[in-house]
Amino acid sequence: MKIKKIDPVTLSVIWGGFVAIAAEMGATLRRTAFSEVVREGMDFSPGIFDGKERLVAQGDYSPGHLGSMPFAVKSVLQYFPRETLQPGDVLLMNDLYMGSGHLPDFFMITPVFYKNQIIGYTVNCCHQQDVGGAGSGSTVVMNVSECFQEGIRILPVKIYKEGKPNEDIFRIIEANVRVPEKVVGDMKAQVNANYVGGTRILEMVETYGIYQLNGYIDEILDRSEQAMREAIRKIPDGDYPFQDYLDDCGEGTEPILVNVTVRIRDSEAIIDFAGSSPQTESGLNSMLNYTRAYAYFALKCLTEPSIPQNGGCMRPVEVTAPLGSFFNPKFPAAGGGRAMVSHRIFEVVVGALAPVLKERVIAGHSQGATPCFGGTHPQTGRHFVCVDLIKGSFGARPFKDGADALVCSMNPRNIPVEAHEQKFPILVECLQFIPDSGGPGKFRGGVGVRKDIRTLSKMKLFNLTDRFRFAPYGLFGGKSGAKGATVLRRGSEEIPLHSKGAYNLEQGDVVSFVISGAGGYGNPMERDVQMVLKDVAGGYVSIEGAKTDYGVIIDPTTMTVDHEATKKLRQTLEERNGR
Amino acid sequence: MKRIAVDVGGTFTDFTIQDELSGELLIAKHLTTPEDPSIGVMEEIDRLAKERKIDLKEVSQVIHGTTFPSNLIIERKGKNTFLITTKGFKDVLENARIKRYDLYDLFIDKPVPLVPRRSIHEVTERMAYDGTILIPLNENEARGVIRELVSLGAESIAVCLLHSYANPIHERMLKKIIEDEFPGTYVSLSSEISANHKEYERTSTTVANAYLMKGVAHYIKNLKEQFEKREFDKNIYIMQSNGGIAASLTMERFPVHMVESGPAAGAQLSAYFGKTLNMDNLLSFEMGGTTAKICPIVKGEPKITDEFEIEKIKLRNGSGLPINIPAIDMIEIGAGGGSIARVNMGLLIVGPDSAGAMPGPMCYGIGGQEPTVTDANLVLGYLNPDFFAGGEIKLDPEASAAGIRDKIARPLGYSIEQAAWGIYEVVTANMARATRVMTIERGYDPRNFVLIAFGGAGPMHGSRVAKTMGIKKLIIPIFAGVASALGMLITDPKFHFSRTYIAKLDRNVMSKMKEIYQELEGIGLENLNRCGAVGTFKYFKSCDVRYFGQGHEINVSVLEDDLSDNGAEMLKTRFNEEYKRNYGYVDEGAEIEVVTFKLTAVCLRLRFELKTGLKESKGTDPKKGERGIYIPEEKGFRSCLIYDREKLYKSFKATGPAIVEERTSSTVIFPGDVLEVDGLGNLVITLNEREKKGK
Repeated sequence: MKIKKIDPVTLSVIWGGFVAIAAEMGATLRRTAFSEVVREGMDFSPGIFDGKERLVAQGDYSPGHLGSMPFAVKSVLQYFPRETLQPGDVLLMNDLYMGSGHLPDFFMITPVFYKNQIIGYTVNCCHQQDVGGAGSGSTVVMNVSECFQEGIRILPVKIYKEGKPNEDIFRIIEANVRVPEKVVGDMKAQVNANYVGGTRILEMVETYGIYQLNGYIDEILDRSEQAMREAIRKIPDGDYPFQDYLDDCGEGTEPILVNVTVRIRDSEAIIDFAGSSPQTESGLNSMLNYTRAYAYFALKCLTEPSIPQNGGCMRPVEVTAPLGSFFNPKFPAAGGGRAMVSHRIFEVVVGALAPVLKERVIAGHSQGATPCFGGTHPQTGRHFVCVDLIKGSFGARPFKDGADALVCSMNPRNIPVEAHEQKFPILVECLQFIPDSGGPGKFRGGVGVRKDIRTLSKMKLFNLTDRFRFAPYGLFGGKSGAKGATVLRRGSEEIPLHSKGAYNLEQGDVVSFVISGAGGYGNPMERDVQMVLKDVAGGYVSIEGAKTDYGVIIDPTTMTVDHEATKKLRQTLEERNGR
Repeated sequence: MKRIAVDVGGTFTDFTIQDELSGELLIAKHLTTPEDPSIGVMEEIDRLAKERKIDLKEVSQVIHGTTFPSNLIIERKGKNTFLITTKGFKDVLENARIKRYDLYDLFIDKPVPLVPRRSIHEVTERMAYDGTILIPLNENEARGVIRELVSLGAESIAVCLLHSYANPIHERMLKKIIEDEFPGTYVSLSSEISANHKEYERTSTTVANAYLMKGVAHYIKNLKEQFEKREFDKNIYIMQSNGGIAASLTMERFPVHMVESGPAAGAQLSAYFGKTLNMDNLLSFEMGGTTAKICPIVKGEPKITDEFEIEKIKLRNGSGLPINIPAIDMIEIGAGGGSIARVNMGLLIVGPDSAGAMPGPMCYGIGGQEPTVTDANLVLGYLNPDFFAGGEIKLDPEASAAGIRDKIARPLGYSIEQAAWGIYEVVTANMARATRVMTIERGYDPRNFVLIAFGGAGPMHGSRVAKTMGIKKLIIPIFAGVASALGMLITDPKFHFSRTYIAKLDRNVMSKMKEIYQELEGIGLENLNRCGAVGTFKYFKSCDVRYFGQGHEINVSVLEDDLSDNGAEMLKTRFNEEYKRNYGYVDEGAEIEVVTFKLTAVCLRLRFELKTGLKESKGTDPKKGERGIYIPEEKGFRSCLIYDREKLYKSFKATGPAIVEERTSSTVIFPGDVLEVDGLGNLVITLNEREKKGK
């Protein structure tokens, strides 16, 4: 159904219109949501699909949701072919295999009807604060071996039928989650968002007519595909391998090998995770949709970051992993902790292409932590689920330092200390940058971050972080960032905690989350001396660090550089490095 | 007696002078002198004294608005500003909210903080969210920290401690120490600047205030001296971003309230014209050279927001420095006369980058190499090449046509006119889309609004922007060229105060509520008195309320009766009604909590009457010529009448296609649109029905 002539102006207007509708859906969801994760953390994503179930536009929120969405929609609509749908129906699904890799992500899909025909779907995915299972927040890694332990799993259902909520299903969900009022509140916000999107799409149909609108959607997707192909074509053909590790999937377990080969063939890319570790018997696995989402996301950042995301952009890229491997596990493997994997998927794809995209890649970045505290609130007597989003910094870049305290790969906001303390029995003791944690380089990696949280009542902690054993890599002579750690302070004791452990905390315990620093780019001995001095003045680098990492001698009283001594030291250090 | 408003903008300093008795209005413009704006201001004041016999002794009030504070921030000209914060939290400011404002771009950066990390110091203290002191302030340590700051050169100190909105005692103690030890040092307390929760945003706001204090104090002092030298001994009032004016003394302490004052004054003017026309709901749409600014006016008042950002990167949300103080709610879009058009991926893209005034559009002939929106308007016949800035700048239509031909028409296979119309339509769609998202986000249907368009490019695009959103009426206000300066004349002293206090909405909260309102009213009274304002003092109370657990708050007005014992029930009912209006359902059983208490203190003065000198009936023929303008429905040019706005008279009517020209702009009236001039000289245009765009 190709329309005769594409008018560039109309195309611009329609394309921008779809992107704006997705943004408006996101604004609606956030405004009416109940949970901190959604309204402060912004852990959700909206999208628009056409009548042929193709992704037309998305709001720029979470890459994990965005990249999984086309596959999720396809799976859900296999359960509900179009003839089974009525105006006012809303479909719900949270299966980790069909969806985005863990149960807390609820997908809502609303068909958009025009003259009794489905002309598209408004879709959103939203991270629910809790969906039951082994531990608060439903992202437990240790002592979980099957997804049945992770919470309520909903295969596609009609959560609304012809505009009326399906109370039976709501009741089942309410009974199976720890914070039903937040989950149900956020679900209603999801329904609102899709409704607003649908209304807006119908207005576009009124303006342009459905025939013409569909023709323009074809064009949008084709041009996006073209642009993506041209960008990939600029990368020399070849197979580009890279390896990195995840620490492990619980106490006493082995490191998880992350092995990727990026195959560039003319205008197409295959991102293959063969050779990676097998699936684990824990809550740490990356469902294929999630693997796809972040691998694709990394490639888009490196090739064509500016055009709005849609199904056309994704056509020239294929992501594969052998069934039964860590990146494509077999049912009923569990996946609650998969947020930790997102960082590594992004990093290995970037690392693989670094040799041929020297000026577009960045070094390894800080591994964030998304720990969850859960228990009974001493004041209300109700269950609480307190998810934190503690993030670090960007890896160093070809022409500049990695941005400090800017999240890489995932993209949530942090949650204000003041908002957290109002709601949960916790007291934050510090939130600060860690000196000398940014990987040294001609351009410095962003710093690591430390956040200490004191408990004001008994509660459980489900830790979720990584990079305790394998530091974020540097590039082209740049050094790694500092490793992360989690430490429990109980009285005078300091107990190292495992990155994925579950713990019973006493009132008054302090948990210190140390987030890894990001990797450097280029030889640190070539770093501009003035930039080192500036880092020292700001406390990002210590005087000692300037000396050992950069070979720069700074007088602590005058805060000036001893240029003679610096020159000598840098020479010595270079020689020692065998340059 | 007379009142003078002076608005210092980037390029021009505008003056409006009104005789209080006759209402007669005088307008003047002078080039801005960026290094010291008072030079340009006083040059014009002296000229007006000499040539127009404006005697400052005959002036009762001077109102001043200025971009000076914004420039201090943009150019990072503030110096020696330091921050004191709670131990363990020195990195709250730089840590910010961590989210990237562009998902896929790996090369983005955050704005440079106004206070570098080395200038942030900590003191031992800790407050809980409910105001309980967990760790008392260590005064000795604090004294040491303050001495160190001053020894490092601190001239202005921001203080932002955790949860200080709930209990400001520690911040006040620090202020006392600073004032005792180092009188003359500027101090900004977060509990005074922005007593609301969320530590990053509050810190950012407080730091911005501290950053501006010294510069603004000098600026105001200098300006006052200049006026005093000319024997002016009355108050100078300063325009604030909340759409009110304040005594200059107040602004020396709270300069952060000045950062968006220009657009705020423009919105006040729009609201005023709306009232004179009995139109309550308007969208104030100002389209200049670089950006378009849109502000909703609801029930006669410009909407107020509690948070905005300055220095946004590419105008993206989340990229700038948050400022959490009440300000006129507005969005800024990268769409102006100077917005550059280009072809990318076979698509026509316009903006957000702008050729600005230098190198400017191609038709200026001063170096612009990229076709812009102004070039398109010239090719389409909407702009008169011989009457730009009243004829002071000659435009070159050939240059515009050549640029559009080479850069747009040829790559797209368009004719020059088609390409020019394409530019016009894309930039219009960009503005309409952003405006619609904005109105819908705030719960308004744009179809129920009237568009009021001004700024150099606004009157050329108003009609199409309005139609795209389903708006049926358009106003092109009179004196649009000095909108901000005129807006300042009609503005009352007005202050907004707020305090976060989170509690369940029930009987128990009522006494605390009364206490907070009493305190806020006291501060309000103090500020109004400082203005020496004559008129009726009024206080409007409201409260942000939400369902327990929900993040989004709804603002509910609080009436005197609500402070009685069963006030909580009445407030609950009002909240539920408002919630239902917004979201279509009510959660009857749910608990409700109060979050932030707000108070607006305003001095309502005698009603302002604007006399514009509009002719009652036809004098000289307003027709000044004819020329072809592009009519999109006909895909070609049609000859139409050109009117001189200065010669229009009351109740003058015309039907499109037509053009109304004035010194600062040109209004395009499309076929079927009907123009009528109101009693003040505003162009009131009833728009033709929205037509379908299908082909």
